[in-house]
Amino acid sequence: MSEKEYYFSFDTNKCVLCHACETACKIHNNVETGCTWRKVKTIWYGEYPEISGVNLSISCMHCVDPECLKICPEQAITKNSEGIVSVDRDKCTGCGLCYKVCPVKAPQFGWDKKMQKCDFCFGRIEKGTAPVCVETCPGGAIGFEFADISNKIGSEKDMAEYFVIKKP
Amino acid sequence: MSSQISSQTTNNRISKIPTFCAMCGPGAGCGIYAIVEDGKFIRVEGMKESPLNKGRLCPKAHAAPQWVYSPQRLKYPLRRTGEKGEGKFEKITWDQALDIIASKLSEQKEKYGPESLAILSPARRSYSEYLYRFLMVHGSPNYGHSGICALQNAFSFAHTLGALMPFADYANSDLILIWGKQPVYSGSSKGGTRSLINAKERGARIFSIKPAMEPDAALADKWIPARPGTDAALALSMLNHVINNDLYDREFVNTYCYGFNELKKHILQYPPEWAEDITGIPARQIREIAGEYATTKKAAIDYGNGLEHARSASDAARSIAALIAITGHFDRPGGNVVMTGSEMPRPKSVHLRERYTKEWVDKLVAPEFPEQFQPFFEGTSSAYYRIFDSILTEEPYPIRTVIAPGTQPIVSNRGPKRVIEALGKLDFFVVIDVMQTAEMNFADIVIPVATPYEVDHPFEAGMNWIMAPNRVIEPLGDYKSMYEFWLDLGVGMGYGEDFWNGDINACMDDQLSPLKLTMEELRKHPTGIVYPMRPAKYEKYDMIFSTPSASLAQERFLPQRKIALYNTEFEKAGFSPMPEWHEPPESITGTPELLNDYPLIFSDFHTSRVYNAAWLRNIPVLREIMPYPSLQIHPGTAGERGIRDGDWVIVESPHGHIKLRAELMPGIRPDTVMALHGWWQGCDELGLAYYPLLDGGANTNIMYSVAKDKAFDPLVTAMASQTLVQVRKA
Repeated sequence: MSEKEYYFSFDTNKCVLCHACETACKIHNNVETGCTWRKVKTIWYGEYPEISGVNLSISCMHCVDPECLKICPEQAITKNSEGIVSVDRDKCTGCGLCYKVCPVKAPQFGWDKKMQKCDFCFGRIEKGTAPVCVETCPGGAIGFEFADISNKIGSEKDMAEYFVIKKP
Repeated sequence: MSSQISSQTTNNRISKIPTFCAMCGPGAGCGIYAIVEDGKFIRVEGMKESPLNKGRLCPKAHAAPQWVYSPQRLKYPLRRTGEKGEGKFEKITWDQALDIIASKLSEQKEKYGPESLAILSPARRSYSEYLYRFLMVHGSPNYGHSGICALQNAFSFAHTLGALMPFADYANSDLILIWGKQPVYSGSSKGGTRSLINAKERGARIFSIKPAMEPDAALADKWIPARPGTDAALALSMLNHVINNDLYDREFVNTYCYGFNELKKHILQYPPEWAEDITGIPARQIREIAGEYATTKKAAIDYGNGLEHARSASDAARSIAALIAITGHFDRPGGNVVMTGSEMPRPKSVHLRERYTKEWVDKLVAPEFPEQFQPFFEGTSSAYYRIFDSILTEEPYPIRTVIAPGTQPIVSNRGPKRVIEALGKLDFFVVIDVMQTAEMNFADIVIPVATPYEVDHPFEAGMNWIMAPNRVIEPLGDYKSMYEFWLDLGVGMGYGEDFWNGDINACMDDQLSPLKLTMEELRKHPTGIVYPMRPAKYEKYDMIFSTPSASLAQERFLPQRKIALYNTEFEKAGFSPMPEWHEPPESITGTPELLNDYPLIFSDFHTSRVYNAAWLRNIPVLREIMPYPSLQIHPGTAGERGIRDGDWVIVESPHGHIKLRAELMPGIRPDTVMALHGWWQGCDELGLAYYPLLDGGANTNIMYSVAKDKAFDPLVTAMASQTLVQVRKA
């Protein structure tokens, strides 16, 4: 395994909940109605009037050590040498175990009941272009890095922690 | 003629067409590359060369292909064959439709005078000047402006500071008060979002004043959750604190302000303790904000449309203008500044302003601003709602034809019950749109128009950027553009000479003449032409204070050549010379007798993450994000009523009731509930039905009073959007 992997970085101070990432992702990747590969939400802390909100944009984190990959009974989920996690939809039976173990509930199941999710826009990456969510983000909140896996692990941990704090 | 430019073609089937986004406005659209595959518009990419968006795009921009190909697009002109509201139409041709409209307008002009025509334009549009031109040539001053969009603030600021919209100097400010404004959702890729984030990164403090914690408030250092419609009370009490505690800029006040002593006496009646009851903001916090604003040298106020939807709209804007002035924050670095603009020559206006006369102004059916102050900046205007009122009251005379180009009077304006009544009585109603509208079943003629992706005009110009669009796809039906419609109708009415004899290219070239360009030449610059900005210049008081108004006499906005803290012109016209406080039609402090039945404040907001006004709910990629009309309600307030997140609830005011889905929101005042306005569309792809337009639907406009003496700001005709409600599980 390479010491460096691709990952999304995210700056909560720059997300304004505009949903551009979500929409751009759906249109550019032809994601069917009912599925979203990237989702935006607000996490609230405190009580009125001493309250604060943190905005998040969440997709598959392409984890360094993906739980989904380990649990998939069909070995449909793989991770490439650059750290991008993908699913072989021919092998997927739609059992949903990947969804159960995913810390940010990224796997989606559409009309064919097979798993689909963010592919890190690898078609664009190959051509040297940023993933579309990164490119469109008006606030510059979403970034993409090819960096040491220790950074990626930190980013994964932050996101997963935010994610478990449920909206009331 | 198709003028597709296939630059950077990646293969034969795919072309990448430089143009600009058409999903919001009225300012110039963000630069985009439209991607067309086998003749089909499939997606957009941001144009990095555009100085506006620099490659960034918002969610609406990405939804463009679904909008263009929507099943709800109007493709053919229609003539109503059934009863009004019944929805029975027959297809006619573009020329037939034009003939019918032209003969009706000619007949009415002869019989009732040209002023019997009103054209609605609630907000500034890229085609607003064409509407003005048609009205001017036809002979009607009745351009129907909403009374709640930008001009209300601009009027108050112009007549107080001499400047229409002094901008918050985000790049240099140390403290920014975002006040009744949504700097994020309206054109998030245009620069507002970036300015806010950059200011924050630079270390500027942000205070956000609004009833609910929207994303800008979430990023802010302080959220000041003032009750809806109480901004004037808050601003007056801030003036009180600043003046009583000598926190004002004495030298600036002595040199540049008129009427300070009168103001000083006047505001004694508005201490922070008084405002605490009304606004729900503790007096201590009001003092703190006022003090910090006054004593921070570089402090700015970024005010928005939220101030304009209130009985005391002009009072709020005038008080804020006074605050900016007396604290020495006007046209100084980091304060509220008058832009110096760019080196770009302004394209020629097609308005025909030179033809305004006194008789013209006197003919207004329902002046949005008092006659002596008309025409204002945008031109003469009648108040949108009152145009409909005139149809019913026939006072001072009835409007006979209403043309609604890109506007939906039943869902985008207060008083829909009365609007529907008026549409029933109206002689002739024309709807012009790209998409089915809420009231098109009342229309005699429906005119479909092209989306900007289907035509190659008009050019768009920002402050320092001008660009020609390129046609992305051929039109999908028997229609032309909104611009061509007005040219064709002009020709059809016999006004051809004033309408370039129907030649849209000649019309474009005429407007470009000050830039010494033609459309053809402009189009040779696929990403437009960027002109240098003029260097920022501050304290331009001589120039600002002698700014002539747009009124007929072209008098200065400021007769004393000083900031009008005391306004002698308003006084002469019978209005208060200084800002005052007027309660919303129904409110906690104004109508406490209603609290037993209606204990909560209700208001609506108009900017949304993914929708524009009363449109775009039929677009699946956007509707998935916000599928239901929701009521923002504090979890405690909901809990007291047994309401859980996602429950459908009935919201009832003294004027009507709507059905919304509860969205439990910890970041909203517990005494206030709020909803997005503009819901009526369904979304077939998601199996979501259309909502009723009146009671039981989701049209927030039915909730409010439209009483003449309570619901309007008498100076600027702003309409209040606050009431009291009860909420219960549906």
